[in-house]
Order: sequence, then C-alpha cells, then structure tokens
Amino acid sequence: MTSAFSLIHSKPGRTFDTALSWLLFAAGVGIYLYVAQARHAENPEERVTPTVTQMVNGFTDAALKPAEDDEATLPENASVFRRFPASMLWKDTKATSRRFFYSMLLLIPAVLLGLHMGLFPYVRVFFLRFILFFDKIVALSLLPILFIAFGIDELSKVMLIVIGVTPTIILDTFNLARGIPPEQVTKAFTLGAGDFDVAYRVVLKQLMPNVLNSIRLNLKAVMLFLFAGEMIASTDGLAYRIALLRRHMGMEIIIPYVLWVALLLFLVDLSMRVINRKLHPWFREA
Amino acid sequence: MTNLISIENLSMTYGSPARPILSGIDMSIAEGEFVCVLGQTGCGKSTLLRLVLGSEQPTRGQVLVDGERHLRPDWTRGYVPQKYALFPDRTVLDNITFGPEVREFNLFTRMMPRFFRRRRELRMHAMDYLMRIGLREADATKYPDQLSGGMQQRVAIAQALMTQPRILLMDEAFSALDPGTRRDMQKLIRQLWRDTRTTVLFVTHNTQEALSMATRVVVLAKEDPAHGSRVMLDMALNQPCREDEMPRLIAKVEGVCGSSRDPESALFSGEELPDKILL
Ligand SMILES: Nc1ncnc2c1ncn2[C@@H]1O[C@H](COP(=O)(O)OP(=O)(O)O)[C@@H](O)[C@H]1O
Ligand SMILES: [Mg+2]
Repeated sequence: MTSAFSLIHSKPGRTFDTALSWLLFAAGVGIYLYVAQARHAENPEERVTPTVTQMVNGFTDAALKPAEDDEATLPENASVFRRFPASMLWKDTKATSRRFFYSMLLLIPAVLLGLHMGLFPYVRVFFLRFILFFDKIVALSLLPILFIAFGIDELSKVMLIVIGVTPTIILDTFNLARGIPPEQVTKAFTLGAGDFDVAYRVVLKQLMPNVLNSIRLNLKAVMLFLFAGEMIASTDGLAYRIALLRRHMGMEIIIPYVLWVALLLFLVDLSMRVINRKLHPWFREA
Repeated sequence: MTNLISIENLSMTYGSPARPILSGIDMSIAEGEFVCVLGQTGCGKSTLLRLVLGSEQPTRGQVLVDGERHLRPDWTRGYVPQKYALFPDRTVLDNITFGPEVREFNLFTRMMPRFFRRRRELRMHAMDYLMRIGLREADATKYPDQLSGGMQQRVAIAQALMTQPRILLMDEAFSALDPGTRRDMQKLIRQLWRDTRTTVLFVTHNTQEALSMATRVVVLAKEDPAHGSRVMLDMALNQPCREDEMPRLIAKVEGVCGSSRDPESALFSGEELPDKILL
C-alpha cells in the first residue's frame, strides 16, 4: 500500500525545482510584454509601458551618453570604458553609493554603542530609555525639520538615516549582547581578560556574524531613507533621477533604473553574505 | 595547612521580596583539597560558586580567597561551567591559548610581531595539554561545535588549567555527559588534580560522582522553606572510596538531604541515571 502524498515531505526534483523558482519571473515579464504590446497597438505614443526596445535604448543612453553638463568633452568614437564613467547612470550610482557608504560607516558606532549597552550597566541605564524613545520616532515625519535644521545638503540625508536606522541596529546589537551566556563572560574573566577584552575579543567577535546579518536585513531601510532624502532634496543620485524622470514620464529609464537599484542591492547583500561566511567559518546559521 | 578559601557566614538572597538562597554558610578549604559540593537542583550550589568566583557579591558574610575579598572573577580562580564553556568562534587550540594570550597582550599589543611569535610558543604548549587530556592533533583546528560534549569539556578543563589557577571551580561540569564519558572525565580530573595539585571545588547533584572523586564532600540543603540552604554535612573521604563503603556513604548523604518527595532523590539510590530524567 502506498502512503498518502504529503506536501511537507515532497521533494521537487532539481530541474523542476529550478523551473518552478523562475516561473514567477517569467510570468511577470510575459504579462508586462503582453500589456505593453497591447497598449502600443492601441496608441503608438503610449508612454506608461515602454517596450523592451525603448527601455534598452533608454538604459544604453543613460549608461553610455555623457551626462548633460559635460556633453562636449568626449570624442564621438570613445570606448565604452571611457563613456560609462562620464554617463548619467554612473554619476547617479556614484552619488548614491557615496551616501550609502557613509550610512554604513555610521552603523559602526551604532554597533559599538549597542555592544557597550549590553555589557556595561551604566551605559545601558544612560542610553536605553532614550534610544527606545528615539526608535519610535517616525523618521520621515522629521524630514521637514531636518531640512530646516541642517539645510538640504548631505548632512540632512545622513541624519535621516541616523534617525531611521541606527536605533534598530543599536537595539539589535544590544539584545544580541545580552543574549551571550553569562558563563562566557565569567569564563573570560577567569582566564585573565579585562572588561574591554571581554567586550571586543569575546562578545563582539561572537556577535559579528549576527550583527552583519542584522545589517543585511536593514539594508532596505537604509535605502528607503536614502531614497526619500534624495527624491525630496538632492541634485544627483539614483532616486533623484527617478523622481526627475517622473515629471517627464520617462518610464523607459525609470524601469531600468529600478531594476538596476535592485540588482545593486542584491549584490551588496550577496557580498556581505559571502564575506560573513568567509570571516566566520565557525558560524552556524540559526 | 593554611586555608586557601574561607567562606564566612555567607548569605545570599535574590529578588524582592528577598528570597533566601544561602543562609550562613561557613566553610574553609585548604590548599590542595578536592571538595565536592553536593545538593539538589536549585539549592544554591551555582550561587555559591558565583560568590567564590566573585561574579556576584553576597548579601551577608564574605568569601576570602588567600585572605582577600574579590570583587570580580580573575585568573587565580579557574572555572569550568556545564555549558557554554568554550568560545564558539575559536578553534580548540585558540580556546586553550586564550588565557595566556589575553593576559599578556591587550587589544593593541596583539597587533605586534611579538604577539605572533609568542602565540606560536603558546600553541606548542597547548598541544601538550591537548595530548594530556586525550585529544588528537587533528582536533586542534576544529571548532567547539564539531566536538562531542565530552571532548568539549576536556578542552574546557585544559583551557582553565592553562593559566595555572590556584583554584579550579567546576559547576556540574560533567552533568550533560553520558555515564561512560562521565566516568572517564572523573578519572581525568582526578589525575589532573593529583598532577597539578590545584585545589578543586566541584559542584554536582550526583552523589556517586561526588563520592568517587572528592577528598571531602559538603552537602547543602534547606532545613525549612523560610531559610536558604546550609551546610548539612561536611565529611572527609579516603580516596579511592571502597566499593563496599559506597552504600553506607550514599545512605548517609541521602539521610541528610532528607526528603524523598521529588524525583531528584532517585539519584541517591546510587543508580546512575541519565540526567534528562533528573533535571
Ligand atoms: N540571578 C538570579 N536571580 C534570581 N534568582 C536566582 C538567580 N540565580 C539563581 N536564582 C535562584 O536561586 C536558586 C538557586 O539557584 P542555583 O544556585 O542555580 O541552584 P543549583 O545550582 O544548586 O541548582 C534557584 O531557585 C534560582 O531560581
Ligand atoms: Mg547549578
């Protein structure tokens, strides 16, 4: 007698597995192409759903044509490698990456603060209540205040990320640090470690993989606040471009830009995962 | 012999309203003794150990180690807990060398070439320890979670002994191990104790274990619920314990612990039961 089919115990085969996992992508693309084609047949001037050709053209222009302000400086037959660094896409990506990099740097003090709060009672008492409050502030609601207080330059965008993301990272690290078994701390002391040896050589080292994972989870939040800042007050950056092109209904560039951002974020996440695994071979994902 | 550890009228309460855990413990331990502290789960054995370590301070009384009070744990008192004894992010060898490494080099000097030279020496030294506690060379580069429970505890003991503490405090160090492994570990710790002449304070809830290792057994128990645990029995033992003596000694300890109300008392029958049932 054969036993009944069980959903939980089913094992899709390798090929089927792959096919199944790409199905939604295929369906998404298929539906888009169908809708775009239908709308273009109805109205050749249609701008909401650009065709693939339009998007490819738009994206190549963005990636290979010089940005508006220094149009004349490149010779007509310059190579791709000369043309890409002068392009609009490259400039936008560079500007956004720079801000993203700064926000990542800002997470380092956040991690250290969380660590010290988790280990040292005085630091905990001093900061915890305030940070719990800070955490509840809806960062975007502060945006006007930030622009008034810090102007519309880089500082206000960075502050937006500080307010939006660092409390989460601080509290995450804090909880992780508190989760370290007290035996470990006692043990380290009995082996001759001091307070800061315990903090950095025992606890932080053990937390790092989890902290990196928590940062990975918060990448979206970082990007969210970064984009909010760029869309509202900026003169460059990927989000600025998307916001700008919206006014011209430049969908043939907006859609590739959105995919480009997703790809970049995916790559950042992937490299962090790989680095995490390389740096911490002892770590077992929970 | 002089007293290495003096525990004087030690009391400990937790929480508010205060719940007494220990009430007036008095005990002196001389250099070179192997003392087992016995008692049922929850009677405050770990608490006593934490007070000796200095990771907590008593509500009354004091613990003097070498005539001094200690406000925090330090390298003179080695410690082997039941769980989480090893640093998961370090290999076996690096776990063993952690003590000397952290004592000789701070966060900054450990970047200097001197550190790497010294670390090579320490690793050679740690290798010797590794052999002594019965691990193989191939285990040196493993991470703790790749070892069995027994192996982990062996490494933890080596790690603690590497700093050459005067006192070794062990909290149910073998309680998570299966009976066979546990017996091996008991032999090992006896051996190391004889070789190094370290004073050992070993906490356990297993009577058999205490009687088979210690030169002295101290039983903690509550007289009544309103008070914390006290020393109910403090007896010296000749080691090794004679087989035919065992039942009498077990009966003696069982008598002191009284109650056969809870399943814990099963262990006083001298049977070696797996710990899952006992805990
Ligand atoms: N930090 C603490 N706060 C409050 N109660 C505690 C704390 N540590 C231990 N206790 C209580 O003290 C009692 C004795 O604990 P413990 O010393 O761990 O017992 P044992 O090691 O003998 O099993 C237990 O009832 C436990 O709940
Ligand atoms: Mg205990």
